[in-house]
Amino acid sequence: MSAPLSFTQATRTVAARELTERWRDKSFWISTLVTLVILAVVLLLPTLFDDDRSYRVAYGPDTSPGLAAAAQAAADQLDVTIEEADLSGDAAARALEAGDLDAYVTSDRILVHEELDNQLGAALQTAHQQVTAAQRLRAEGLDPAVVERARNVPPLAVEAQQPVDPEADRRSQVAFIGSLLLYAQIIGYCMWVAFGIVEEKSSRVVELILSAIPTRALLAGKILGIGLLGLLQLVLIAVFGLGVGNVTGMVEVTSDLLTPVAFVLVWFVLGYAFYSAVFAAAAARVSRQEELQNVVGPMTMLLMVSFFATFYVSSNPDGLISRLLAVVPPFSALCAPVRMAGGLVPWWETGLAVGLMAAAIAALVVLGARIYDGAILRMGAKVSLKEAWLSGRRAAPEVSGRAG
Amino acid sequence: MLELRGVTKRYGDRVAVDNLSMSVRPGQMFGFVGTNGAGKTTTMRILMGVLQQDAGVVLWEGRPAGPADRRRFGYMPEERGLYPKMRVKDQLVYLARLRGVPAAEAAASADRLLAEFGLAERARDRVDELSLGNQQRVQLAAALVHDPTFLVLDEPFSGLDPVGVDALAHSLQERVRRGVGVLFSSHQLDLVERLCDAVGIIRAGKIIASDSVEDLRSRGRPRTYRVVVGARPGWAAGLTGVRVVRDETENGDVARLDGAGALRSGDPWTTVTILELADGVDDQLVLDAARTAGPVREFRRVTPTLTELFREAVSQPSSPATVTPSEVHA
Repeated sequence: MSAPLSFTQATRTVAARELTERWRDKSFWISTLVTLVILAVVLLLPTLFDDDRSYRVAYGPDTSPGLAAAAQAAADQLDVTIEEADLSGDAAARALEAGDLDAYVTSDRILVHEELDNQLGAALQTAHQQVTAAQRLRAEGLDPAVVERARNVPPLAVEAQQPVDPEADRRSQVAFIGSLLLYAQIIGYCMWVAFGIVEEKSSRVVELILSAIPTRALLAGKILGIGLLGLLQLVLIAVFGLGVGNVTGMVEVTSDLLTPVAFVLVWFVLGYAFYSAVFAAAAARVSRQEELQNVVGPMTMLLMVSFFATFYVSSNPDGLISRLLAVVPPFSALCAPVRMAGGLVPWWETGLAVGLMAAAIAALVVLGARIYDGAILRMGAKVSLKEAWLSGRRAAPEVSGRAG
Repeated sequence: MLELRGVTKRYGDRVAVDNLSMSVRPGQMFGFVGTNGAGKTTTMRILMGVLQQDAGVVLWEGRPAGPADRRRFGYMPEERGLYPKMRVKDQLVYLARLRGVPAAEAAASADRLLAEFGLAERARDRVDELSLGNQQRVQLAAALVHDPTFLVLDEPFSGLDPVGVDALAHSLQERVRRGVGVLFSSHQLDLVERLCDAVGIIRAGKIIASDSVEDLRSRGRPRTYRVVVGARPGWAAGLTGVRVVRDETENGDVARLDGAGALRSGDPWTTVTILELADGVDDQLVLDAARTAGPVREFRRVTPTLTELFREAVSQPSSPATVTPSEVHA
């Protein structure tokens, strides 16, 4: 009743199990939810704070009659609104103290409770200057309107030799959030691979599985299944983030902005491929979850260093060190998307970064698979790298069927 | 037919399996016994292809066994192994799928086995929610779910209660009747003796005895008889071709208790005698001699139990030698 399974079929069957079992896992949904909530908070927070852009101002009886109107006009220019309150004297002072009033303007001063908001201050000072200047001009017998026309000179136009992309800031913001997500996602899903491997080893189910399919099919299926789920989650997060950003007006979804998002996704695939091979090889060496931290420690450290390097790259995207970090694996996994988003990266650099990473992945998959193969059935004490390497099978899994 | 020829496996300097050869026919239940560390598990892992032998060959139907052949074997590893958090039925279906069974068939087969083991209602439970006994049943179901052509079971009975043992024995026997070969290891030698058509005793990586239990018992050893007769010890002395291994009065202690050397009334003497008969000696003549000496209460052929054979085999420094069956077990 059974037909032999090809390597691909075996890999697919394993991958499907990894995907569905983790899809059912509560922790997947909790982590997704937590990420989305954090993202929403990051995107919504500025809008919440920015909301406070209207001010209540009262004018004393001794102020110039045109002051309120001039302040209103100046405020319009600054994109804030001023609501005029009909208070004066002690009532105004009490309102300031209670926080119901932002400023009380008299003929010679502006009264505030603690400090004057910059924007409001600018609007009120401008208004005060205009009104006072107009009064003085009239006193000198001049028409303020003529003076105003004469003073109204359009500013000089600025022409940059190498203009800064107005979207660059936005894109590097996205890239920064992206690198944060990348870091969390790569470390999270690689740990899932590692946990899964140790679970199979500690529960001994691995022996049952490996009597049916080749070691490498199990490894490939596990990495693919979990990675696919990670990619799916990342796409979900990206779509959600761009959606929320778009609705709140934080980000405008343009092709300029989709590029860094696409970079993040591509580099997740590359970074995950790189690190999961290493995590898998490390995890196969131990038989108990308690020992896992020891063997994956150096890798998590490397990821952390790469992550901190992204801060440097983000603030200095075109420096030599940044350029190197963005090209050399494994740092490129986190640094490349940040640099590519921040600056104008020549295409050959992107190509080189991807090419080097792909080569590193190819080498690591071979090495990782061999160590995994050599260690996965050795229960008990931690298997040394040398031991694992020596007992790993170099050739195709079909070897197990050969006599000899 | 499954065959191992000259299989050797070394771990560093230690030889775990040493030039081991044996075979299991279809429809044969083969018991694999040996002390801990003798090489049973290593041999079974090599059989299943999860371990690579250093020398020798595993043959299936006369050809070197390949992954496709082995995939159709059923396997129960020494250390039980299932995904603790996976649902019982999902797990069985998954394992069957890995062994090449199409999804629909795998599901049907899983349902059938779960019903057979009385676990139909636990199909959607996670494995770690089951009792150990039930986990063991699921483990066996995992070995059977793809309708295997051959079964390799490492200590399948350990941890089972007597009811579980009977149920497992029954389901194995059923598969044996359908022509499936079964190789299982066990320390429960009475069970092996009861179930197996053939036994292999392994010591230090070598098969030191491999045959049907019957042949193991009789081969290379004299016929042994236990005679209980109402006579004084010494009745068998001088019989031609008969060696007296043991000759004691059973109620000697009682007689002494009675005091003054006087025997109690009734049967004054009951002597238990163990005799070894040389080839060609007629056991009926021995019986006649016993009857002449006194009333014969018991006269029977004694064969060693598997436990005795096993103890003898693993304690002897070299190949099988004769053993005196202890009459305690007779």
